Parts: sequence; structure tokens; C-alpha cells
Amino acid sequence: MIKVALIGNPNVGKSLIFNNLTGGKAHVGNWPGKTVEKKVGKCVYKGVEIEIVDLPGTYSLTANSIDELIARDYIVKEKPDVVVDIVDASNLERNLYLTLQLLELEANVVIALNKFDVAEDLGYEINVSELSKLLGVPVVPTVATTQGGMEKLKETVARAAKEKSRRRIIEISYGKKIDELIAKIERILQKDENLTKIYPARWLAIKVLEADDEVLKIIEKSPCVQEIVNLLPEM
Amino acid sequence: MSEKIKELLGEEAEVLLAEKRYEVISRILPKVLKGKKPLTRSDLLDKAFLNKYLGIPVFLALWWALFRFTFDVSAPLSDLIDMVFGRLGEIASISIQNEQLASFVADGLIGGLGSVLVFIPPIFFLFFGLAILEDSGYLARAAFVVDRVMYKLGLHGKSFIPMLLGFGCNIPGIMATRTIDKEEDRILTILVNPLMSCSARLPVYVFIGGAVLGGYAAAGVYSMYILGIVLAVLMALLFRRIIPYFKGKPSAFILELPMYAMPTLRSTLAHMWERGVLFLKKAGTIILLATVVIWALSAYPWGAVHSGDEPLIEASYVGFLGHAIEPIFRPLGFDWRATVALFFGFVAKEIVVDTFGVLGLGGAEELQQVFNPVTGLAFMAFTLIYIPCLATIGVIYRETNSWKWTIFTVVYGVVLAYFVAFLIVGIGGMLGY
Repeated sequence: MIKVALIGNPNVGKSLIFNNLTGGKAHVGNWPGKTVEKKVGKCVYKGVEIEIVDLPGTYSLTANSIDELIARDYIVKEKPDVVVDIVDASNLERNLYLTLQLLELEANVVIALNKFDVAEDLGYEINVSELSKLLGVPVVPTVATTQGGMEKLKETVARAAKEKSRRRIIEISYGKKIDELIAKIERILQKDENLTKIYPARWLAIKVLEADDEVLKIIEKSPCVQEIVNLLPEM
Repeated sequence: MSEKIKELLGEEAEVLLAEKRYEVISRILPKVLKGKKPLTRSDLLDKAFLNKYLGIPVFLALWWALFRFTFDVSAPLSDLIDMVFGRLGEIASISIQNEQLASFVADGLIGGLGSVLVFIPPIFFLFFGLAILEDSGYLARAAFVVDRVMYKLGLHGKSFIPMLLGFGCNIPGIMATRTIDKEEDRILTILVNPLMSCSARLPVYVFIGGAVLGGYAAAGVYSMYILGIVLAVLMALLFRRIIPYFKGKPSAFILELPMYAMPTLRSTLAHMWERGVLFLKKAGTIILLATVVIWALSAYPWGAVHSGDEPLIEASYVGFLGHAIEPIFRPLGFDWRATVALFFGFVAKEIVVDTFGVLGLGGAEELQQVFNPVTGLAFMAFTLIYIPCLATIGVIYRETNSWKWTIFTVVYGVVLAYFVAFLIVGIGGMLGY
């Protein structure tokens, strides 16, 4: 069985894609301990069962809201085989912000470039293969309202799941100075196997710099926390 | 340890990393995206409404239009209701034999409660206009435009939506602060929310302004709303500076703007009714109850008040109360009757009007004996700023879960109200009033 998580900004057509993929049949419950709705559905592609979890719609993956925390905790801890990032093709600039954060989380991302028809009507011309190359992840144009691209999306998800271990992890550069600092923190964190077993070290390092409340709580318990604090006054 | 890391980094790093991510995106975009988005009608409207320089003037102009509309359309209807209550009062005082009952019906119910009910039309028309602004999609833009200024001043981005709701009633406004992530930002927004002029204050402005400001009545009322916004911003800034708890920068946020739409009559009326009916309920419960209490305090001791031909309210319990606290307000030029109105007004601000009504000051001529234009304006400002109503105080306590912040809100409100009213009277005095 392939475990897939759906994520995207609010109003990108995520629910519609969820319904298209699952045929509208979903198990609806709550996220453990939270009052946020959790929807889980299933579909089958060429004999392979795919379980689809609908994550809350978010613009970002900070620790500032329950929705964002649920989404990122699921991706980090449950490690779904594929994360389908639904991107509004008519509003790439805003939507790619979440995409970059997913890549930083080292999720196995497949982009569904939804509202592709709207983008074309607005006069946009999107170079799908170039986008895929630059981000290092598969990109599938979709039109959720007419079920367009759904078969292709399933196929891409199935392939991405199979090739999960071979994927290329791209690093987003924050400029030389910050990159060096991130690398230093990353090296310190790598000494703590309990951490790196669960969390990508580079992601933790970036979140430490962002003073992310949840990540700081995690680091707090690690023996390497003092070393990181000593490093920071260099800034 | 994590506190130490936070201290070392501040919020700068988070913002910097976010900016870098957008830089990466801006390098990707030109390589994958061709063609320029044609301007939709929504975009064209936004070009004007969200313009860096035009945004605020357009907001002020539309807000002004809203008030002119509220006034001009509702005035004849209010006059009509006023006339009906006037006639009813005459009939009651003649036809009811029992003196005390006649006084209760004529002075209390009709004079007091009636003077509040006269404001049904402006309140409903205000909500009608607000519903049009909201349903058309403009109100969200107004939030964006004012927010841009507020953010520059160091206020939290999500603050303005609770603020906008505050124009209807501060209670939903304060509840809406729950969408704000950071507790400090949330409490700060709660503290200044009562300065947003809720609809309960509108009757006071119209009542006093209409009586003593003459042709400038609408401008006076409008200025109260603007004064409320300006004070809210100033206070938030001040608190952020001087109270250590609020130190630091507000977090940024994304506000999604809905498309413009033509408001339908049905949804506009539904919105208007939904909010307006709350006023009617309030009139039937708490204001009615207050009327009974205030009337009783103003009519007894019966022998002392009703010894002559005309009732001598100064001899009543209310008179006693008013004279006791009047010295505090003397520097503002408020007499004992205005003082009593403010005293009861803390329960709900409409009761200020109610009190004047019960005290026999329901008409413009009578009010002109109490206020001149400057003290009238000072009284309006005082009503705007001082203690939020009892229900709002309750919600502030519930939402902050702290008596400290609740008492703080009440105290700073009274002090600020006194200060602003004093300033108005002082400036008015220099101008020769």
C-alpha cells in the first residue's frame, strides 16, 4: 500500500482533488487530540492500493498555528511515501512558498499544478518540464473541476513511491553566510542520532535559526543544545 | 536554553529566511512562467482601492458616505418615531390616574426607553450600509489598507479584522482575536478593541450631536469613529513601547482578499437584520431594566421630588448621586445630569441616552441647556472612550483570563477618556467657547 498525503494552500481545489481520487468516499475523524477534521480515503491504481490523507490547507509550515503543525508533524513523523502538493497554477508565486518548505522537510513531493485551465485563460504559459527540473520533483498539470489529469497524477504518484529512495534532494540556498551557519548547526545535530532518526538535520538547523517554538522544544532535550547556543553569538 | 536561543536570534532571522525563500521563488518564476496576467475588473478596482496613496483617502471617503447615508435616510423615520412617542407620553400622563404609574409610563418607559428606540432607524441603516461594504468585498480591502499602516506602526496584521467587527459590537470583535497566533499580539488587540466605536455608541453621538452640533452633527459623529481608530492605533503603539510584556515585533500574515461581487438585496437585508435584532433584544431586556431602575431613582423620594408643580429631579436619589460625583467632571463642563448618564452608561452605552430621556432631557432644546457644542463633543468623546460596557468587560475577562488586564482596560479607558475630553474642552476654550 502506498501512503499519500495531500497538502496545499487554502482554496487551491484540494478537497476536489481528494474527492476525484477517492471517489468521494472518505473516513472522517479528528486529528488525535485536536478539533481539526481529518479525512482519509483510498484508491487503487493498477492493482496497488493508495491511501490518501487530506492535510489541513496551509500557506506555510511554521509552528504558529495548529493546522500548520498538524501538517508538518504528519509529514515528519508518519513519513508518507508521497506528498502531493497542490499548487494553484494561476498563483504560482504564493503557492511555491509552501512547496519550498516541503522540499526542506525532505518530503517525496509530487506537484499537482491545479487550475491549469484558469492559468491559461488568464494568459499564463507555464513551462511544466522546466519547473519540474528546477524543483527536482514531478509536476502534473491538473484541472480538478473536470477531473483533468487525475489518471496521470495517480500514475506519477505510484512511480514516485517506487523510486522514493532514488530521489534527488535539492537544497535551497539562503545565501553564503546563512548556508554556512546552517551547515554548522546541521553538523552538530547529526551527532544526536535520536534526532536525525526522525527529523532531517538540515531542516532542524533551519528551524533553529527561525527560533521555531516546537523545534526548540525538541532540541532542548538533546545533549548538543549547548554547542548550538555557543555557536549563535557569532552572528 | 530555548529561551536563550530565542533571545540571541530575535525575530529577524525568521523574517530573513522567509525573504530568502521568496528570492528563490522570484528566480524560478521567470524561467517557467510566460505571459502576463490580464487585468480583471477586480484587479482594476484593487489598483484604486489598494493604492498606496489613495487607499486611506478612499477608505475615509467611503466611511463618510456610509455615515451621511445612515443619517440622511434615517432622520425622517427617527423624527416620526419621536413624534409618536411624544404623543404617547402626553396621552399617558393625562389618561393614567395613578400619579406614580403615570410618571413611570410617561417619564420612564416613553421618555427613557422611547428615546433609545428612536435610534432603530440609524442603527439598521448603518448595518445595511456595512453589509453592502462587506458583501461587495470592500471591507476586506479596508482591513488590508488600514492594516498596512498598522503593520508599519508595529501592530499585528490580523488585528484589523477584530477591529472592523468592533464597529458592530466589541464582543464579537474581541472573540475574533482568537485567530491571532501570538498571545501578546492577541491581548494587545483585545485591550484596544473597545476603542472601536460600536453601534451602541451611535445613539449617544446622534442624540447629543444632533442637539448641539447643528449642521456639523454628521461630521461630529464621523469624527468619533475616526477618533476611535486613531486612539486604538496610538494606544497599541504606546502599550508596545512601555509595557515589557508586549515588546517585540508582530508576526506577518497572509490576508486573502475575496473577489468583488455585487451585493444582493437579500443577503444585505439578512446581514442587517442579524445584527440589528440584537439591538432590539438589548432594548427589551437590559435597557428596559435600567429604565426601571433609573426612573425609580429619579422619581423617589416621591414627596421631595413631586412637591411643586414641576417634578424636582435634583431632590431625588439620582440628584444626590449626580451631585456627589459631579465635582470630578466639573473641569470637563459636564453637569450633574451628564455625570449621572455616564454613571449608568457603563452598563450599556445606550443607557446614556435612556438616562437623559428619563431626566426629561430628551429634546434638543433641553439638551442645549446642558451642553454647548464643545462640551457636547467632549461628552461624545468621553462616551466613546470610557469603560467598555458591562458585557464587554465580561468578555475581556473571559478571553484574557486575567483580572489584571481586565482592570487595566477599564482604568486606562477612564483615564484616556478624561484626558481627551479635557483636551477638547481646553482647545474649545481657547477658540472662545
